[in-house]
Amino acid sequence: MKKNLKFYIVLYLAKLSRIALKIIGRDATYFPGKLAVTLCPDFLGRIDKPKTIIGVTGTNGKTTVCNMIEDCLKENGYEFIDNHLGSNINSGLASTLIEGASLLGKQKKDLAVFEIDERSAVKIYPYVTPTYLVCTNLFRDSLKRNAHTEFISNILTNNIPKETKLILNGDDLIVSGLAPENERVYFGIDRLETDTDKCENIVRDITVCPKCDSKLEYDFVRYNHVGRAHCLSCDFASPKINYEVTNIDFEKMKMWVKNEEKEEDYDIINNNIINIYNMLATISVLKEIGLTRNQINPVLKNQKIVDTRYSKEKVKNIEIITQLSKGMNPIACSRAFDYVRKEEGNKAVFVLLDDLHEAANSSENIAWHYDTDYEFLNSESIKQILTAGARYLDTYVRMQMADIPKEKIVYQRDEMSLVEKLNLEGIDKVFILHDLYSIDLKNQIKKKVEERILEE
Amino acid sequence: MNKTIEILFPEFCNLYGDISNMKYIQKCIPESNFIETSFNEEPTFVKNDVDLIYMGPMTEKMQEKVTEKLKKYKQRIEELIEKNVVFLITGNALEIFGKYIENEDGTKIEALGIFDIYSKRNMMKRHNSNFIGKYEDIEIVGFKSQFTQSYGNNEQNYFAKVEKGIGLNPESSFEGLQKNNFIATYLIGPILILNPEFTQKVLKKMEIQKPKIAFEEDVKKAYEQRLKELKRL
Repeated sequence: MKKNLKFYIVLYLAKLSRIALKIIGRDATYFPGKLAVTLCPDFLGRIDKPKTIIGVTGTNGKTTVCNMIEDCLKENGYEFIDNHLGSNINSGLASTLIEGASLLGKQKKDLAVFEIDERSAVKIYPYVTPTYLVCTNLFRDSLKRNAHTEFISNILTNNIPKETKLILNGDDLIVSGLAPENERVYFGIDRLETDTDKCENIVRDITVCPKCDSKLEYDFVRYNHVGRAHCLSCDFASPKINYEVTNIDFEKMKMWVKNEEKEEDYDIINNNIINIYNMLATISVLKEIGLTRNQINPVLKNQKIVDTRYSKEKVKNIEIITQLSKGMNPIACSRAFDYVRKEEGNKAVFVLLDDLHEAANSSENIAWHYDTDYEFLNSESIKQILTAGARYLDTYVRMQMADIPKEKIVYQRDEMSLVEKLNLEGIDKVFILHDLYSIDLKNQIKKKVEERILEE
Repeated sequence: MNKTIEILFPEFCNLYGDISNMKYIQKCIPESNFIETSFNEEPTFVKNDVDLIYMGPMTEKMQEKVTEKLKKYKQRIEELIEKNVVFLITGNALEIFGKYIENEDGTKIEALGIFDIYSKRNMMKRHNSNFIGKYEDIEIVGFKSQFTQSYGNNEQNYFAKVEKGIGLNPESSFEGLQKNNFIATYLIGPILILNPEFTQKVLKKMEIQKPKIAFEEDVKKAYEQRLKELKRL
């Protein structure tokens, strides 16, 4: 697409708005791009793009994977633009490209790392062709926005440019079937001891063969539709993995990644399988663009998961663990519940998953609670579950539907006084599971829990 | 009071937590017989009498396959409706019982034609809303989240009269479909858990005398709270 006069006017307006916002000390990561795509709907098509674009999409893990890719590139001297401060929809990409462009509309850097919202595919890929596109996974997400995985995988397949090389999670059969004509490599984790033959989750979005509709036989199930499977009637099966974790040593915190018959070891920073997938996605794309194990591992090894997502702290002899559990995202919450139940020791769990915007302005659609495996919280080692927020009555009913004994559940509207009900007797770990918009609440609850432990 | 409940194609018709409706029925009448019929099987209702037939929302691709499959049994379904068998059909499963479903490009998927309505898809415009509606003497609460809207006259056979939110489409004041004990609604999610009095009515329709609903006190409190919130909005 050519740059016309309208494009230049919009580019200058957007650049001016950026300068003005910066002068008055306001966030300039959203408005300039929003202005540009509103005034010039094909702005993304007209502005120059860096020569190489790494895109990261998928339901869960996009931000973490982008952060890891960016840290590795930075440490190794690469210069690039990215949208990590802005949004991951078309206007966010536009803001980043406006910032990166000269007054002639030329990009000053040759490389970009873009987190790309999967639902925004229709507004992005007609104009932006990622050189590499990572897809971490595709799960049920906010049903109001993303509906179901078939909808999301269709819009991805129909919009991803043919020239884009895909870096796909080969253990996710919905992801591995994306844009079948495109060049691709797969990453995956070989069977683990914790994998099972039967799906324990409520939700499994792929049970029949995408080619012939016959029943799929799962070789193993990791969670939901993640695992490996083959069709009983045709030749369809999970793909051959190019970057495969062949072994994980949780004691030494190491994993081995095999690529083209060569096995390399990497340090893992946490024992959560989700993080191992995120690291593996990062390693796969960085190897594709030519980085070596020795350029990647030292950076990943020193990664700190941002404490808005995960934190662990010991106060006296009790561990306080906070874990982001995105509300309205049933798989993310189920993973968090599974993580809690599998951790050693006796546990108390705060469940604070309400959407605070909805609580203030509406009445949250709680259908997603019933796609979420609350049943995992019904575990002998979980001694107390404390929940509060606008939907406390609904959450209490949902927990009863999961057969969690009533006497283990504390439920009330007020969040802050919940900590007073925490029973620390015999407890080794206190988990605080919280929504993305509840970071302040999480911090306050955490502080109160610390005080409670110190008082005991 | 051993009742038989048939859940149609739960491996596919399971979006938005709707299967929880049947899990709740199971908590209410645990001694009943629950049959989960998978897509490649012949439904039990074809040759046997059942007390409740349930089908929940599904993807668009599956909706077309399920429509094709159920066409064979249209006559039997009509017979069961006449015999007052209870049907609970949620989300876009409703559309299968209308005349046709129209795609954006104008192509049509012929449906069962039991009700005089038709549906139109718009995959780039998802409708979300909250709902309050009057069903007999009670108020129903719930949520809608859908790509489709339905059109046609359901004034004589609607499920609930709209008090807040939309009916079959944004201009309609009548939500869902009802004929005898056949109930279809665009409401999604755990509607039976959200609406304890309605659940009681469904159980009564299944000829359960003095039905007792599970976690009665707690579900009623949650219902009252939601009703109050939705009225305030």
